[in-house]
Amino acid sequence: MEPVIETRNVCRYFGEDETRVAALDHVSVQIERGEFTAVIGPSGSGKTTLLHLIGGLDNPSSGEVFLSGTNIAEMSGTELSDFRRDHIGFIFQAYNLIPVLSAEENIEYIMLLQGVPANKRHERVREMLNLVGLEGLGDRRPAHLSGGQQQRVAVARAMASNPDIILADEPTANLDSATGVALLDIMRQLNEELEMTFVFSTHAQKIMDRARRLVYLEDGKVERDESK
Amino acid sequence: MLLLKLAWRNLFRNVRRTVLTVMLVGFSLVALILTDGIMIGIQESMVGTITETLAGEAQIHRRGFLDDMDDELYITDPDPIIERVAANEAIAAYAPRVLSAGMITSPYNIAGGLIYGVNADREVSISKIKRAIVEGDYLSGSTRQILLGKPMVELLEVSLGDRIVVTVSEVETGEISQELFRLSGIIEFGVPAMDEGLAFINLDVAQRLVGLDEGIHEIAVRFKNPEDAKNRDHAFYREFNNDEIEALSWLDFSPAVSALIEMANYGTLIIGIVLFLLATLGLINSLFMSIYERIYEFGVAKAIGTTPRGIVGLVMLEAFLIAIVSCVMGSVLGYHVNSWYEANGIPLGSFEVEGVVLQGLYTKVVIEQFITLPFYVVLLVLVAAIYPAIFAARIVPATALQRSL
Repeated sequence: MEPVIETRNVCRYFGEDETRVAALDHVSVQIERGEFTAVIGPSGSGKTTLLHLIGGLDNPSSGEVFLSGTNIAEMSGTELSDFRRDHIGFIFQAYNLIPVLSAEENIEYIMLLQGVPANKRHERVREMLNLVGLEGLGDRRPAHLSGGQQQRVAVARAMASNPDIILADEPTANLDSATGVALLDIMRQLNEELEMTFVFSTHAQKIMDRARRLVYLEDGKVERDESK
Repeated sequence: MLLLKLAWRNLFRNVRRTVLTVMLVGFSLVALILTDGIMIGIQESMVGTITETLAGEAQIHRRGFLDDMDDELYITDPDPIIERVAANEAIAAYAPRVLSAGMITSPYNIAGGLIYGVNADREVSISKIKRAIVEGDYLSGSTRQILLGKPMVELLEVSLGDRIVVTVSEVETGEISQELFRLSGIIEFGVPAMDEGLAFINLDVAQRLVGLDEGIHEIAVRFKNPEDAKNRDHAFYREFNNDEIEALSWLDFSPAVSALIEMANYGTLIIGIVLFLLATLGLINSLFMSIYERIYEFGVAKAIGTTPRGIVGLVMLEAFLIAIVSCVMGSVLGYHVNSWYEANGIPLGSFEVEGVVLQGLYTKVVIEQFITLPFYVVLLVLVAAIYPAIFAARIVPATALQRSL
């Protein structure tokens, strides 16, 4: 089966000459459909950089990144935007919902970008809110939702476009322990029921415990790659 | 709809900044409306003074007459021309005149002046002579009637009913011709040159005095639509311009005022450009502040798939909404300010521009001020928003999201 994500000898350097730092050093990783993978490692190990690259938000200094079989280096800016919109869902550490839109509208926004007709958008929004357990809270703006609720809206937004993969950078870092676990359970459930692919970067032991595969990064290199 | 909602709500994320931006653009529009109102007011006042006081909006003469007011160049058979003028659908009123330089003498003093022989009835629709009478009576066709300006009356040291002798030279023979009048009315146009140097007598008396028989020197004309007077391609001008006679617009016989109006238009343009430039710089600054505050959010928007064009569209939509709100506010306020000054005037006293005395300054409200000017404001705001919009569209998501994915 073709992997959803494949990095081949990817390097990403920041700075030049003496100040040059290798955030990623010849990283080759394959993520299959339906995986629930955690990228772990200490701060500065290159977790976020790896997620940036596999999310098409950044380009590697060398090596190749394939998203659903497509080399992102061959895409123009607009093609990459379209690709992210249709194939990748993002969950951010700080939720990053649009503050002036309600929960429903935040979820609807990405489908608007996809050109989904209004009636289907509204139907899908209701479906997503039910999935993440936020029925009845759709008309609230982010400021009137708790951190856990906002992150659940972010999960719903990431899933609304029906992406091939969801990338989450420390999704529970701003949540208390119980809320974080509850959110993880929702994502795990979505992974199992809908076979949605999740890749996390995390420090949290609870995420590591729930992940089926752990990719250990240290100093920009893959130290270990374990499947449970 | 969602994008519109998003753009609209974004305006209220920093209400103070949005209000200040709207005020900046809106007050610029108010200033522009008022400037335009003042300029139109001055123009209309000047044009009105010129055309309504005496000259009319257009004049027909024997070709070359106006070059040096040679009274030998008169229209010998005016009736066919007058009939055609009267039949012209564009013309509202006309008045035939005889003009001759002459000497005006009283028992106490003597003055030089320009003698106008006028048709008293027809002049009412063309000039302000009747309305300018401050003492005595208007012409009624009586042979001995003469109207003089107040300064000339003071110079001649006469009063109503006193004898006045007018001396001119006959057109054909060059012989001296004199006529005795009794001062029947004192006029005051408010234009010093006119009050000091003009005398008005009845047309038939003037024709006899100057020896013209039925001849006249001038037909002053008023159009139904004053704008037609400025259009030199108008059928009227084509019809009455030939080898014998010429029809001239007030733009031709008052070139200084016409140039001044053109200059005033350039003035409005320059003021408009300066105002808009200031407003534009303020707007660009405001949009950039708004973008910098939301740079992380734009990074997120791009990360989840908003195309650069979508980001440009959003910023432009926000700018468009600011422009619309500013224009509504500016137009409403501009209308009230301009209307107030139109009714009450700007208290500047009376002042003279190119020999034309303007009594106070009254602005003018015209519909174009609330269509054309706001249209330019919207256009300019959109142009001003292009640079910030492109800047926002070029935000690199990975850079904007450095703190997190």
